[in-house]
Amino acid sequence: MISLQRRLSIALAGILLVAGLLLIKSSLWLFDSAMRHYLQNDLRDEAQSLLGAVREGHLGLLLDDRRIDPSFQRPYSGRYFRIDFADTTWRSRSLWDAQLAVAQQPAMQPELVDGPQQQRLLVWRGDYQRFGQSLVITVAQDYTPVLYNLRRVQWLFAAIGGMTLLLVLCLQRWAVQRALRPLEQVRGQVRQLQEGQRTQLHDQVPVELLPLVQQVNDLLRQTEQSLQRSRTALGNLGHALKTPLAVLFNLLHRQPLAQEPMLQAELREHLQQIEQRMARELGRARLAGDVLPGAHFDCAAELPAFLDTLRMVHGQRVQLAWQAPQGLRVAVDREDLLELLGNLLDNACKWARQRVELSLTPSADALLICVDDDGPGIAEDKRAEVLGRGNRLDEQVAGHGLGLAIVRDIAESWGASLQLLDSPLGGLQVRLAIPSRRT
Amino acid sequence: MRLLLVEDHVPLADELLADLGRQGYAVDWLADGRDALWQGQHEPYDLIVLDLGLPGMPGLQVLREWRAAGLTTPVLVLTARASWAERVDGLKAGADDYLCKPFHPEELALRIQALLRRAHGLAVQAHLAVEGVVLDEARQAVLRGDEIVQLTAAEFRLLRYFMLHPGQLLSKSQLNEHLYDGESERESNVIEVHVKRLRDKLGRELIETRRGQGYRFLGLAK
Repeated sequence: MISLQRRLSIALAGILLVAGLLLIKSSLWLFDSAMRHYLQNDLRDEAQSLLGAVREGHLGLLLDDRRIDPSFQRPYSGRYFRIDFADTTWRSRSLWDAQLAVAQQPAMQPELVDGPQQQRLLVWRGDYQRFGQSLVITVAQDYTPVLYNLRRVQWLFAAIGGMTLLLVLCLQRWAVQRALRPLEQVRGQVRQLQEGQRTQLHDQVPVELLPLVQQVNDLLRQTEQSLQRSRTALGNLGHALKTPLAVLFNLLHRQPLAQEPMLQAELREHLQQIEQRMARELGRARLAGDVLPGAHFDCAAELPAFLDTLRMVHGQRVQLAWQAPQGLRVAVDREDLLELLGNLLDNACKWARQRVELSLTPSADALLICVDDDGPGIAEDKRAEVLGRGNRLDEQVAGHGLGLAIVRDIAESWGASLQLLDSPLGGLQVRLAIPSRRT
Repeated sequence: MRLLLVEDHVPLADELLADLGRQGYAVDWLADGRDALWQGQHEPYDLIVLDLGLPGMPGLQVLREWRAAGLTTPVLVLTARASWAERVDGLKAGADDYLCKPFHPEELALRIQALLRRAHGLAVQAHLAVEGVVLDEARQAVLRGDEIVQLTAAEFRLLRYFMLHPGQLLSKSQLNEHLYDGESERESNVIEVHVKRLRDKLGRELIETRRGQGYRFLGLAK
């Protein structure tokens, strides 16, 4: 799963890192070149004062010691020179027993040169004409203190930069979370929608989300309306077909049909086939299945009236009981679940001696619906056959067959599994496991 | 027993009227929900058979308004809307029984009998048995041991009404209202004649006459 939060964090951290590195590198480079430029002037002055110290004696050229900077006298002081003319070389005392090569080109050397005691030398060369001689003066200065300082500044920058990056990331995370809070709310509402705890998304959301939320709400409304419309149309169709069918059933008992038992029986059989086929297909067409995410079934509100309806059908012969956790809401369409429970409990009541029990138990990944009766039950080797019955039209018989076929249609539309087991009451237990929806 | 049939499909209504008439019920027939709402509240019916898909006013709405107005007459809902959700809604609206179309005529007859007995606090069993009199409603005859006493349609109607109201004082006008539909001619002495015939067939002590007040069903228990 891609998280917007993580994407934004990674992008921002990358940008900040690149920008920070560029900034540190370029500022260090600027500092370095400014420093070298400044020292270059120093070295030129140095060379010129050395040139000033060169005098003409009677044995040739001399270097006046008194006019040389004392740091050239102290060994490894960090300041060195070398003067070359004709085939003579003068070296500063500070070089001691180290060598300073003549620089390759006049003025500042682009690269630092290795000096004594791990020093790194900045080297400048000046070419002069004096007393009829051409003099090459190479002056060098130790650059390591500056390099050392530059490295320190680099670490300091890195530390400050790192901390800033961390701080910015934290602030960004907070800002993004704040900006994405409406999204998080919508996500929560979508979850509630799937759990059947609401039927519409709240439309008090930022402008960017509004079209999405409105679209979802419109879709929900349309789906519900079209489901309602098709159910009404199916109801009307059923009404239009079943009423004439009722007349036909009645006519079977009239003259002259009552005198033709063969004809009467055949007509009755075909009428019953039409009736059962119609009941099955109309029932199947009415199913909402998974199309309505806002659908829900409130057990405490619906089950008492439902059991009263069963008692009305079956009289006082059977004791009916139900149990479910308080406030249980099942995220399925009310009509679908009533149809399923109606068929299951109707069957159970037909076979039960005294008791029928309905229980709904939610667990982490499924809702378990059990219908128990204390009737004769079904032998284990017959159960698969009973479950499979009603697949074909001519196998459909009233009672267990047709009812279970509708139950199976509904269970399939939910992706639920249906099992026939031994009941602790002594009869049959029908167990249905409806998987919880993924959120 | 006087029934109100509310059904807008004329061929089915014709069939049901003929059937129910043969079973000894006095039946009034209406096809419009608004008429049914008014007449159900103003005529003393013993049972109402109500279709839900009605012109004028939906059957469920009619039922709700009857119950809201305090009408306690048992109502059998007769409908093509067979889903359990609709049955539950029907019960919530105040229906006492629910029969889905298409149905077998015998099924309707049995449901009406059962509903009438339940409404009068009697057990639902094969025959109507009250105070030592056993009535076979299918054959319209009284069973006395192995002996079968055949009754005429009018005698059967009267005896069934008496048996569903045992011990109660029933005036002639009350009997007239419940035994004949709204369009029949009510002759003043017809009840007297049938009571006499029932006494002749089953015994004098069956029905007591309270002069000026009416009749009371005592049965053959003693």
